[in-house]
Amino acid sequence: MTAVQIVFLAVAALTLAAAVMVVSLRRMMQSALALILALVGVAVIFALLGSGFFAVSQVVVYIGAIAILIIFAVMLTQNSMSPEHSQMNPGFLYAALGSALLFSSLVFILSMWVGFYAIPVNLDPSVDTITVLGLSLTDPQGFALPFEIVSVLLLAALIGGIYIARDHHRD
Amino acid sequence: MPTVNDFLLILPEVVLLIWALLILLIDLWIPDTKKYYTAVLSAAGLVISAGCAFALLGRTGSAFSNMVVLDGFSSVLSILFLLSGLAAVALAYDYLKRNAAQRGEYYTLLLFSIAGMMLMASANDLIMVFLSLELLSIPLYILAGFFRPRLASEEAALKYFLLGAFSSAILLFGIAWIYGSTGHTDFPGIVASIDGGRANYLLLLIGAGLLLVGFGFKIGVFPFHMWVPDTYQGSPSSIGAFMTVATKAAGFAALLRVFLVLFPAEAPIMAGILWGLSAASMIFGNTVAIAQMNMKRLLAYSSIANAGYILMAFVPYGNPVIAQEAVSSALFYLLAYALTSFGAWAVMIALEPAESDGLLLQDFSGLGRKYPWLGAALLISMLSFIGVPLTMGFWGKFYLFKTAVDGSQIPLVLIGLLTSLVSAYYYLRIVMFAYFKPGEPQIQPGRWASVVAVICAAGIFVLSFIPTPVFQFAAQMIMGMK
Amino acid sequence: MIPLSWILAFSLALFFIGLFGAIARKNAISILMGIELMLNAVNINLLAFWRYLYSAHMNGLVFIAVVFAVAAAETAVGLALIISAYRNRRTITAGDFDSLKG
Repeated sequence: MTAVQIVFLAVAALTLAAAVMVVSLRRMMQSALALILALVGVAVIFALLGSGFFAVSQVVVYIGAIAILIIFAVMLTQNSMSPEHSQMNPGFLYAALGSALLFSSLVFILSMWVGFYAIPVNLDPSVDTITVLGLSLTDPQGFALPFEIVSVLLLAALIGGIYIARDHHRD
Repeated sequence: MPTVNDFLLILPEVVLLIWALLILLIDLWIPDTKKYYTAVLSAAGLVISAGCAFALLGRTGSAFSNMVVLDGFSSVLSILFLLSGLAAVALAYDYLKRNAAQRGEYYTLLLFSIAGMMLMASANDLIMVFLSLELLSIPLYILAGFFRPRLASEEAALKYFLLGAFSSAILLFGIAWIYGSTGHTDFPGIVASIDGGRANYLLLLIGAGLLLVGFGFKIGVFPFHMWVPDTYQGSPSSIGAFMTVATKAAGFAALLRVFLVLFPAEAPIMAGILWGLSAASMIFGNTVAIAQMNMKRLLAYSSIANAGYILMAFVPYGNPVIAQEAVSSALFYLLAYALTSFGAWAVMIALEPAESDGLLLQDFSGLGRKYPWLGAALLISMLSFIGVPLTMGFWGKFYLFKTAVDGSQIPLVLIGLLTSLVSAYYYLRIVMFAYFKPGEPQIQPGRWASVVAVICAAGIFVLSFIPTPVFQFAAQMIMGMK
Repeated sequence: MIPLSWILAFSLALFFIGLFGAIARKNAISILMGIELMLNAVNINLLAFWRYLYSAHMNGLVFIAVVFAVAAAETAVGLALIISAYRNRRTITAGDFDSLKG
């Protein structure tokens, strides 16, 4: 066991524990905070995988924007459910059983795949991944079209969000 | 550098997106009493884009390094989406006015959604499949809730969103496994990797299964249908009509292309699953529709059944000869279904008063006597849904069943025939109300919905005399698909 | 070094915990949180595949960036819908939205 492996196992265990809390805690605010913990864990895993850029993006986009939005939504909809009542649908045990079953069968299937046991190749230190990624996002022979479509998508979401948030009785 | 050719091949989409942005701006200066102009402008944009798509008909090629392809399949579907959009604009104009929801965002979001559908039909890279799926869905979440703060509309939007986001996540997970297996997201790269024997079969199979679940939600087949009735009923009716036709067609476009191109090797296993989905959808949709007294819900369950019919022809897709035939008959059926479904929805929208969640079947009583044209349109649509001769619905089902027989899916064809018989009961019950029950239905102000109804009914009837050329056109268009 | 199998098992576990949350929870915001967990699992998957097997091409990384953007857009629209529904009806329990029935 190397140090990296120990760190990975610790972070993974913490992240999964936080994820279980997200889906099981009764108080919404607590599960939103657990979500932040899980997202931080994922950011650390990104860093362990050698992508500092996405680790930072994870913190900025998921924690900085999405999780904060969710916390706002939780606060705005407070008292909608009393924490004394169960937050689960009646058949949740079946859902848990099905998820566990699918998980173990997928792991079993994957264990028959050679690539499952791959170890990481060393990245070419002369190549700056972020530069190449940035260039290919704007290269028409690369990924310029998806990049532009994403901008249209964000615009559509913006228009939609404003439309929903606007108070139509007042204007 | 991007070449002119790159932009030429996606010209209809580019035109439509730019037009949507222009409408967004121009609409700010159009006063609330004159929203007529916004509707006309967006219709003009759709017509221009359709003109570009027509001009590109027969041209093939790929653009932006295989991100999108233009071929007959994508051209025909693009035109279908644009015409559906035109119908959605025509149905919306009077209807939104009646419901005091005349806002320019409707048209902008609709145009965004159509552009997403067109990109989906021509996507040649899993990144594009996912992105165009989101581009078509996110505006539709808003449009489904367009009548907010009305409760039914908000509920429709919320359910559509939760199920849509959930299915997107599953679809995305499937794409991740395909990437893991092949190292590519572009279709040619994935195919090359599979043909070269470098791809892992099991991972591909997992990916294909997850993709099927994701697309299953979008096309609304049993058991991924739970959002369909509530969303179609609670959404504005013009959006309900648009979703039954265009969203379903877009889902099928991606499903057909992805499975034909990427997963021919998985066909033996996938065929069983498709078989089950198809049979369950036909049985479930048609039996539950019997109990419905609300027209919108009835049409929603009918759309689940129709998704099952289209899937039927696609079950033996692993056989290349059958696959060609299956795609042409699916295209043909989508055209027939578009005309039929828009016809039925248009009759309902013409009669639907403000603030309603859809007409009850009793509300059609006396329609045939009082408004012979609308009554005839309703009659023709219902006969076409059942698949009675002299309608496009008959030929649509004929080609689907023929393909399934050629692919030796006899039990499935029998289920299809039997469920069609069952469906005759509830479709004819509407006709019975319209023609044999006394009543005084009241047509709502504005004539555009009636115009759409009559045009669709005429199309169903007239095109049914020339099914072979239409089918051959579809077959010829998809020749170069792979 | 960390074997790929560990990371994939981790991401699968995260995905199915999220899936369970999305299916089993009553509350619309909790369902959305489950979906976020699923999207995170997808991103870990993509990044691991890119790092271990296909680091020569950029498409894996581009896909992760796209997922980030789409997740943000989807969440914004979804939370807007949820809050708007709450203002109207004072509940965000998915099961309470039952005004539409056949």
